[in-house]
Amino acid sequence: MNFITAFNKEFLEQRRTRKFLIALVVLVLFGMTSPLMAKMTPQIMTMVPGGEAFVGMIPEPTINDAVAQYIKNIIQFGVLLALVFTMGSITIEKDKGTAAMILSKPMPRGSFLLAKFTSLALTFIIAVVIAGVAAYYYTYFLFGQMNILNWITLNGLIVLYILVYIAITLLYSTLTRTQYVAIGLSFGTLIFLGILGSLPGFGINLPDALISNASLLMSGYPVTNWTGLWVSLGIIVVSITTAWLVFRKQEL
Amino acid sequence: MEINPMEIILKYLPLLIPIALLQFGLMIAALVDVIRREKTKGPKWVWIIVVVFINLFGPIVYFIFGRDE
Repeated sequence: MNFITAFNKEFLEQRRTRKFLIALVVLVLFGMTSPLMAKMTPQIMTMVPGGEAFVGMIPEPTINDAVAQYIKNIIQFGVLLALVFTMGSITIEKDKGTAAMILSKPMPRGSFLLAKFTSLALTFIIAVVIAGVAAYYYTYFLFGQMNILNWITLNGLIVLYILVYIAITLLYSTLTRTQYVAIGLSFGTLIFLGILGSLPGFGINLPDALISNASLLMSGYPVTNWTGLWVSLGIIVVSITTAWLVFRKQEL
Repeated sequence: MEINPMEIILKYLPLLIPIALLQFGLMIAALVDVIRREKTKGPKWVWIIVVVFINLFGPIVYFIFGRDE
């Protein structure tokens, strides 16, 4: 069994367990509703009892509001789903004994791990691409045209941000015995990186910078510091390599 | 300024239909899965209520946590 076979098996499992469907539907729904919510907020306010008083205070929604809503929603739900989908990827296989069964065939443990990561990555890449197309169409219809190249870059950065947390959770899933400890540690890391990112001058070097860079690009400002991008790629490589180094010596 | 909710819904109807269809499709997929599955984590009737009445998140929570593989 090689990497391709393991990848096909994992991606089939993503579809059979409906993980693929969930990621696709949730992200596409938020892709569609984000621009719509941005556009409709002032009108919704008029329907809320007492909301009329605030209508005059809300400025006319713009493309930037729609993009900000999209980034916020896709990141929030994308990362949440990534953590939930990845938390049991190794722990459950170890617990149920399926990892030992699969790895009794001549398949390197590195391929097994890499297949897990790439199949989850593909699920989120497809979901974000379709969500991005839907959001572009809705934004175009409601607000007007956006710069397509910047929009593609923004979605690429969102995917990379999600991949960082898939890699981190995969590492925790390898290190721990239960999926709940793995997701707890991942949430802890998410909060820790969030706190570090809020330190002045430090956030630009962390994965959160991917999101601020994406917002800057869409607002038409040039991005000069891409350290966060390299750090994110580094975190992915280090997490998967560490997971592999630990997993190859683990007793199943 | 008085805004009629129906006017807003009609104005954005072409954009709201795909969203409603997607949510409805997810609910049907979850409902079919609950009914056809031999065993679920917790009572089946609770999952049916969750899937049908909790918009969007009901089917998702069922797919992630409700199925007994």
